[in-house]
Amino acid sequence: MTSGAVKDLQNWGIILTAFSLGFGAVNLFYFHSKHISRRTPKQWMFSLWLLLVIVTFTAVGVFMGPTSTSYNWIYNASYFALSATVYSSLGFYMTSGLYRALRIKNIESTIFMVVGVIVLLKNAPALAVYFPTLSAWGSFIENVLTTSAQRGIMIGGALGAISLGVRTMTGIETGFLGKLTEEEKGGSEP
Amino acid sequence: MSGQGKSIWDTLGDIPREVLYGVLLVVFVIPMIYPLGLPVPISANVLKWYKAVEDLPPGAVVMIDFGYSGGGEPELGPMAVAVYHHMLRRGDIKVICMSTSIEGPQLWDKAMAELRPEQRYGAVYGVDYINIGYIAGGETAMAAVGKDLRATTSTDYKGTPLDQYSIMDGIVDAHSFDLLICYTTGGDQSEGWVRQWYTVYGTPYMCSVLAMMVPTMLPYMNAGQIISVTSGAQAGEMEGLVHVPARGIKSADVITLTHMLCVVYVVIGNVAYIAKKFQGGSK
Repeated sequence: MTSGAVKDLQNWGIILTAFSLGFGAVNLFYFHSKHISRRTPKQWMFSLWLLLVIVTFTAVGVFMGPTSTSYNWIYNASYFALSATVYSSLGFYMTSGLYRALRIKNIESTIFMVVGVIVLLKNAPALAVYFPTLSAWGSFIENVLTTSAQRGIMIGGALGAISLGVRTMTGIETGFLGKLTEEEKGGSEP
Repeated sequence: MSGQGKSIWDTLGDIPREVLYGVLLVVFVIPMIYPLGLPVPISANVLKWYKAVEDLPPGAVVMIDFGYSGGGEPELGPMAVAVYHHMLRRGDIKVICMSTSIEGPQLWDKAMAELRPEQRYGAVYGVDYINIGYIAGGETAMAAVGKDLRATTSTDYKGTPLDQYSIMDGIVDAHSFDLLICYTTGGDQSEGWVRQWYTVYGTPYMCSVLAMMVPTMLPYMNAGQIISVTSGAQAGEMEGLVHVPARGIKSADVITLTHMLCVVYVVIGNVAYIAKKFQGGSK
């Protein structure tokens, strides 16, 4: 019986998520239609373009099928290309950021720079062949230092989530309802 | 030549970003056009992944989650294709794919167009491999599929009932799978499978994620909850192991050269910074 209830709840979760996608689309239409009707400067043409793209994708998906050649073509030719380009452009920003940020200004930044350079070189495939020591150093950083720090973050996050859950269930935390306690309002401060 | 009143160290310490980007672009494009064939060593994690697939018993069923988005395809797509090559070449493994990313079905189509399973391995859709499509809900979807796959979806990604495919015979829940693989650009998915499948059913699990996500996943691997964590950037290593050189090998050259360039940039920046400090000109 419990198993059946769990299955039902999980299926409801999936239905609600799927529904939220449709709800999100409706909300987008509502929000951007207002920009178009008000001719918001520097915004309304982007809103119009967004809605046109949504309508085009939806129409092709509904009438020709989301696995049709046409749908795949518009996905690959527009969204996929743009999405990959935007993500790839991060490489340029990161390179510039490395050049400016990894400077030996104090002890902390020196450690940061040394570790960063070792991991960079370790992740360059060909260099691992010519300098096997890099691989050992990189593995130590990843498996010992990073894993330890990451575990600390994960355990801290989990404890935080548990305490938030307890506070929410006992009514101490009301922020999620949009209601602030006196303490949160700062009322208890002198 | 540096500008008036500007020393060489000032210039080197503040190279315009257009120059940094331009050099990076050149270093990036050259090996893409003329592959250098630099060596690609096989790392321990890729080897562990390869062995896990190799050690699967005949008739094993593998669940794959195409949980990445279009932005991550250039990194994760080559790895997904290389692993498919490995499994389909064996000929005795059934591969069932689903997506926790809404773009998954399109990206799976893209991978299959590159893989050409019918022509290359004689694999038949619905017999040797199948895609059951996008299942909304994130972790809820993972849990639901693990509990009862057909209650979650009754059709494949094209809308054809699953009962019409022989590969789905006997597939009920997570216990029906011998291995779970996830390719993802999202931490929710890669960690979610640990929580919803490994912890509950003990399904052996491997994931390939963006390089920057690897540190997040390492604690799970070091705790034995994940067999192997790889980054998509290691696709070249997998392609080398399965003897199907493709996009991954090509990008390995690019990764080596761009990483070296980054180190050169860091060295230039620091030399300029220290030199300026010694000259007493630094802020």
